[in-house]
Amino acid sequence: MNDYANPWGYRLQWMYLLLVVTTLMSPVFYVMYVSFNENGFGAAEYVFTLEWYGVIFTDKLMMNALGWTLSLAVVTTVVTVPFAVLAAKFYKTARSKVWVVFLLLSPLFVAADIFGAALLVYFKNLNHTLVWVGDWMDTGVMDGWFKLGFTTAWIGLIIYTIPYAFIVVLITMGRYKVQQTEAARACGATAWRAFWDIEFPQIRPGVMSACAFTVILCFNEYTRTSLLKGGFDTFTTVLVSQMLNEGMSEQSYAMSSFVSFLAIAAIGSIILWTLVRSEKLGAEARAKAAPVAS
Amino acid sequence: MSIAVETRALTKHYGSVRALDGVDVTIRAGEYFVLLGPSGGGKTTLLRTIGGFHRPTSGQVLLHGTDVSDQPPDKRPTGMVFQAYALFPHMTVAQNVGYGLRLAKLPSDQIADKVATMLETVGLDGLGNRKPHELSGGQQQRVQLARALVLDRDILLLDEPLAALDAQLRKDMCLELKHLQEKVGITFIHVTHNQEEAMTVADRIALIADGKLVEQGSAREVYEAPNRRFTASFVGENNLLDGRITSVSGGIATVETGGGAISLPSIDTASQGAKAAVSIRSELVALSTAEDAQISGTYVESVYLGLTTSHRVALADGSQITARVVSGTGATPEPGAPVHLSWPADAARLHID
Repeated sequence: MNDYANPWGYRLQWMYLLLVVTTLMSPVFYVMYVSFNENGFGAAEYVFTLEWYGVIFTDKLMMNALGWTLSLAVVTTVVTVPFAVLAAKFYKTARSKVWVVFLLLSPLFVAADIFGAALLVYFKNLNHTLVWVGDWMDTGVMDGWFKLGFTTAWIGLIIYTIPYAFIVVLITMGRYKVQQTEAARACGATAWRAFWDIEFPQIRPGVMSACAFTVILCFNEYTRTSLLKGGFDTFTTVLVSQMLNEGMSEQSYAMSSFVSFLAIAAIGSIILWTLVRSEKLGAEARAKAAPVAS
Repeated sequence: MSIAVETRALTKHYGSVRALDGVDVTIRAGEYFVLLGPSGGGKTTLLRTIGGFHRPTSGQVLLHGTDVSDQPPDKRPTGMVFQAYALFPHMTVAQNVGYGLRLAKLPSDQIADKVATMLETVGLDGLGNRKPHELSGGQQQRVQLARALVLDRDILLLDEPLAALDAQLRKDMCLELKHLQEKVGITFIHVTHNQEEAMTVADRIALIADGKLVEQGSAREVYEAPNRRFTASFVGENNLLDGRITSVSGGIATVETGGGAISLPSIDTASQGAKAAVSIRSELVALSTAEDAQISGTYVESVYLGLTTSHRVALADGSQITARVVSGTGATPEPGAPVHLSWPADAARLHID
């Protein structure tokens, strides 16, 4: 804020921000609120309980779905984040940066259901082709490679999450100067050592954020996953189908809240850690900053 | 003296742009060699190609007689100091300086000793525990120097190492660099576009422009006796008068310029009718009497520059010539007054490019 700006303009901007965040988060807070009510949604009387949180761990369908979702989230993160880092590194050195951004963000320009359906058709055709090739080669080893299931859902999630992870890593990489890598190379570091010793420590917060973001996106994703998952269920598909068929159960509220708590805790921890660390470094710098001659 | 660096017909293209165009340069071991030239002329590309950060399109880079054209920077016996932003911000000063030694797997006590010695050499003892952002610009550049020198490599590449510093600090650091090079005795190759910086530190200067090596020589040779028109225009404050040679006789050429005919020592390539340029350093031009005049014109203005004052005189064709004198010496004519200019017989130089 500059000295001549109206202070109410500044306050209004904060109020606007808080209003937007409150509007976005109110439904989530309401779900959390309901999840602690012994009488569930819509009851006239609110009785606080942790019972539903105990029950969710006995719900085999939900726990099974959660297990699959976690597995998908882990393997997706393992592929997506390194790929996003490589893409961001490429972006930094690319001459035509607009094209790199366009190509990497292109999956976002296609509606989720269209992309999911396209992948579904693609995998079915690919599977038929591989089966045909297998028959021709007199082997069945390729028959199940692209049958709808974990692998196809995994690929769908990788395509979905890479643009987001790329953007998150790229933002952190903005602070990093390529001269530092060159300086490391001049000191005798191989390309990998220069990356690991010099670049990675500086982009680590972005990489960690991209990991957290990718996991959260895997939990959020419904359309592509439901089309590509084949015979198993994920947390979101179970939740949505329960809601459509039976309405939200108390366990569903508790499970939704539990996952939201985890996500908020993960992201909040990263933000807090970053703030505390930067404050600590700033304090150290101020303490050491005695005037010295150049 | 042995040869530390040699480039042979070194060429580097970026698409249709020729950043380097067949550059041949030879740098002796232990020499302080400066690549001087305008921005975008190719001097940094040449330095980075020597350092292994660019692969040449054609030609060779030889370090101590070995062709290293295909080797990456970490395989070359060179250290490098960058213009700015090259310190590792997450490491302390000592960790920055010791990084290369750690890569070389030296024992930690040896690393600590070498780092402490090198920090003392560059005047940073006691600051090893600081982070780079806690240092001034000059100190940061000293850390870069220490980090490169501690590796005991015998060729140090400096890419505009003083460009980010203020004017006074740059002057101080220039002398420090020169003394440091004399102390460690290794080859320094320094890129700059600042001629004062180049002349302060250089044993030899090479002028690079449009991807080509224009001219090279000692600082005195390049300043006092430039062979090429470009050198005269870039180094020092030279008056440049374009014209045509009207006669060449007895080692004297006469050039008809827009301001009149000028006679001066000839060169081998001079021939009657050829286009030519005459350069005369402004500090050798003086306002004179009509009898001594080599050229005449109309007084325009004086520009006070502190130690010196520049008198600007318009010639018959509208071009201007500058006479630079120590401030406070001589009279200042009125603007519009007819004036005469003279210079020592050997001060004018003939250029045929």
